[in-house]
Amino acid sequence: MTGSDTSERQAVAADVPTARQLRSRLRQARRRHRTQSVGDLLTDVYMVVLFGVMYGVAFVSNAREYLDSPAAAAADAGERYWIVVAALVAVAGLGWQGLRSVGPLLVVPALQSWAVSSPVDRAAWLRPRFVVLLGGAFGAVGLVGAVSALVDRVGAGVDLVVAVSGAGVVGVAATALAVVAQSSRVGRWWPRLLGVGLAGAGAVLTVGVVVAHFTGGGLVRPSGSVAVGLLAVGLPLAVLTTALAARSLPLVDRAALTTGAQFANAAATAAVMLDPSLLGGLLESRRWRGVGRVRSRRFLAGRRWWVLVQAEVRRLRRHPSAVPAWVALILVQYAVAVAAPALAGSAQVIGAYLATDRLTGGLRSLSRSPGLRRALGGDDARNQLAHVVVPGVGAALWWLATLPVGGPSLGWVAVVMVSGVVVAAYRAGTRPPLDYDTPVAHTPFGVIPVGLMTQMLRGWDVVAVLVVARLLLS
Amino acid sequence: MEALAVQGLSRSFGSLVVLDEVSFTVGVGRIAVVTGPNGSGKTTLLRCVVGADRPDAGEVLVDGRRAYETDAWVRAYVAAALDDIDFFPDLSVVEHLELLAHAHGGSADPVPEVLTELGLDRARDQLPATLSSGQRRRLALASCFVRPRRLLVLDEPEQRLDVRGRAWLADRLRAERDAGTAVLIASHDADLVDAVTDDRIELGA
Repeated sequence: MTGSDTSERQAVAADVPTARQLRSRLRQARRRHRTQSVGDLLTDVYMVVLFGVMYGVAFVSNAREYLDSPAAAAADAGERYWIVVAALVAVAGLGWQGLRSVGPLLVVPALQSWAVSSPVDRAAWLRPRFVVLLGGAFGAVGLVGAVSALVDRVGAGVDLVVAVSGAGVVGVAATALAVVAQSSRVGRWWPRLLGVGLAGAGAVLTVGVVVAHFTGGGLVRPSGSVAVGLLAVGLPLAVLTTALAARSLPLVDRAALTTGAQFANAAATAAVMLDPSLLGGLLESRRWRGVGRVRSRRFLAGRRWWVLVQAEVRRLRRHPSAVPAWVALILVQYAVAVAAPALAGSAQVIGAYLATDRLTGGLRSLSRSPGLRRALGGDDARNQLAHVVVPGVGAALWWLATLPVGGPSLGWVAVVMVSGVVVAAYRAGTRPPLDYDTPVAHTPFGVIPVGLMTQMLRGWDVVAVLVVARLLLS
Repeated sequence: MEALAVQGLSRSFGSLVVLDEVSFTVGVGRIAVVTGPNGSGKTTLLRCVVGADRPDAGEVLVDGRRAYETDAWVRAYVAAALDDIDFFPDLSVVEHLELLAHAHGGSADPVPEVLTELGLDRARDQLPATLSSGQRRRLALASCFVRPRRLLVLDEPEQRLDVRGRAWLADRLRAERDAGTAVLIASHDADLVDAVTDDRIELGA
């Protein structure tokens, strides 16, 4: 490149505003049309904090109550400790993959189209978001640390601060590392390996604890504070990864910023509209796009229901996570039976429902698409029943696999429970689009949209009945 | 002189190969049109060129230099209107264009002329939610013309334009070429392709 080329290239972007100037101009322009006041915003924040504190206090006091009860004493404290560690490692792996799906740095599509696509300095534009993101990560993961410490009855002073800080710096380190991964060019393998590795390590650890439990191998809870260990390891890691991430900010490109934005946008819409299927649709679309191409084969000739069952089996084999999730839930049931045997019966019903629900993709597609139903022809009810065959078999196999750790129950109860789980999964799979024009109930706690809640809890309502029945019949 | 060079570009979704080592160049003051049947990878190609998607292999060179979307110079060089454009719900048509002109270091001077040219004069104060799909398309195209550019990338720009709009588009693309801008478009419109094409890039043939 010649010197004249260089000066010409620089001239292209010579009068470009700074990120601060552009942000300020955009803010001014939008403020002119904005209807939401600062008071409205503070009210929203107050409500979120209020509900957070209410549910947090309730969770801590219930967890403490359970740990003090005779039911909790049935489990070995060392085994329970290691199951919790395994769960946290697995959740960390899933959380890492979640962070990577969202971005974690992102810009909304409008901002991308009209501001970030300009030659404005990318790092300067992203820096305030990066700082807020790290602050949010410290707060969110620190809160988990605080709740864990309170449940574990640590002191309210320095110990609590150490617990919050230990968890918080780990959250900061993970988030900063996710930003480094976001700036990586295509082909880097380590971000995916880290997520899969953590989830896998959690599963292996769980298997180890379960095997130790059934073979009589004793596990002891290590002495020393976990929070201090987290702080000692997490703090230097957080400093290092934050420095690396700050240096990576200029390399976060449009593809990385907008992919996460689509996900975040769908999640926000799903939350506002109280309809998880809005997010599920995007996830489903991305999942199948990742598969790309499959080997198509002819169906074995037969009646309509037989062909539909074959199609359902084929979809299941191609689904990258349905069967692994189904298997993972079996492991979760064994872990619950070891760590909290008193809850094993209820957990088995909930686990069976979640595992069966993973197998109802065909039923959901059919129920949400009038066009698909028209194209298939035949009787709707029969077509839906054909899509219940695979979930039904899946539910029965899952129950059989967890029979040794489901708690005491009579034989006919198992049949009733499996049938109930299939009915619950059927109800969830055939949930129609949400109708927002529904009756509300005026209560001392405010207006409750009863009709909306009934629709949202479709499927879970049957599970709740089954859990109560299981408790009464055990 | 080549404004754009694409070398060995490949992109797959899972095991589905959408682009397989695609190579071509677009010279300064030339119009290159990407054609091909549905699903042949036209939009994916354009998304990779502007950095909205990451290719699995190959490279994109702009003015002889490896193009990364994170490079401010590349963002100043390339103006693009793809189907992923979005709008601020609380900014008017004219405010969108003035913001973009400012973000590129220019003034709002060209905005009234571009609004007139694209027939958006009467809609200048409307919010995006009130625009028809054709008007939104025109606003997306306008975003390319209120800012400096050396390479113009448009994905099916004729979509949702009426007959007069399509005639205007052909004239505008020729004017861009005459001004020395390199143009890369994907199109299904045979009339538009015949009217403006200097070089044709056939995908999925």
